[in-house]
Amino acid sequence: MDFPLTFWDISLWLAVTAIVLLITSELISPYYGRTNLLINKKRLKNTALTVSILFLATVTIRIANIIINP
Amino acid sequence: MYQVKIGLIHIVITTMLTLGAIAILASIIYTSSILAFIGLGLIFWGAILTYVKPEEHIKKTILEAALSPSHSTLHQVIQELAYRGNATYLPPKYFKNPETTRIYIPKLKGDTTLPTPEQIQEHEHKLFAQNPQGITIAPPGLQLSKLVEKSLGTSFIQTDLNYLQQNLPKPLIEELEVAENIEIQVQEEKTGKKTNVEQTTSQPKSITVNVKITNSIYANLYRETETPTQSLTSIGCPICSAIAIALTKASGKPVKIKQIQSSEDDNTTEATYEIAEE
Repeated sequence: MDFPLTFWDISLWLAVTAIVLLITSELISPYYGRTNLLINKKRLKNTALTVSILFLATVTIRIANIIINP
Repeated sequence: MYQVKIGLIHIVITTMLTLGAIAILASIIYTSSILAFIGLGLIFWGAILTYVKPEEHIKKTILEAALSPSHSTLHQVIQELAYRGNATYLPPKYFKNPETTRIYIPKLKGDTTLPTPEQIQEHEHKLFAQNPQGITIAPPGLQLSKLVEKSLGTSFIQTDLNYLQQNLPKPLIEELEVAENIEIQVQEEKTGKKTNVEQTTSQPKSITVNVKITNSIYANLYRETETPTQSLTSIGCPICSAIAIALTKASGKPVKIKQIQSSEDDNTTEATYEIAEE
């Protein structure tokens, strides 16, 4: 009865989600021109950045692990 | 129709969150990473949809339909009362409350005399001024300018022209989405003024600000008004008016809209402002 995903699975999932969200937020940005989508673009952009930062944090933890336990 | 759409979104979000939770629980019971990924994905996208749900939006056609009668009424009032001068946006020093901004339109065409701050303060809440003869009205972009100030987190009084040039387009494009692009260019015209035979000093004569607005949501506002008067043109559309308010507050000087030009397809509007030297 353990949670089946490891830390690295979560990291990969965060990476894929971050890419999808970042591309979506760029495509619906007012500068790109698709402004007729009825969602709160600022919040989507913030979520995309948060998920990206979380992914980068997992990468930092991985690098730190490699350095500390070579 | 809109209510039906909102109801559908709620059903979709609830279903995604419920299925996601079930999938996560099943993944723990059956130790399945595929179920865990599916569950995480459903919960995440359900949460995202809840978080990025739109604020209140209205259709552009409804906005135009609601604005057009008041715009036409303003046009008629100015025309029938025969106020033919060019509108001037008065800076905060003309009013007791520094956050107030009003437009002054002189009675006579070509009259460039502005009343003194004391004269305006005497009749601050009155529409008509007698000496000099003119009318003071609330600008059409007043509320829009307050929304921009709220987005920027500062009052225009505490800013300057450089700040406006760099920061004013962003809230109008990204936050309020009233235009697709806004470019602001500030030009200072300097003149050589001879004070005596040998000394020549150079001092700013006037500041001209050119603003290019692309795909404004108010672009069709003037179509309803068949022949806009000079006074009405110098007041400007709500975006042009909001920019004029920002300029007059930031510079502390009266601002006039010298010219507003729209492209043939109404996609681009170019406005020229003059910050008057007192």
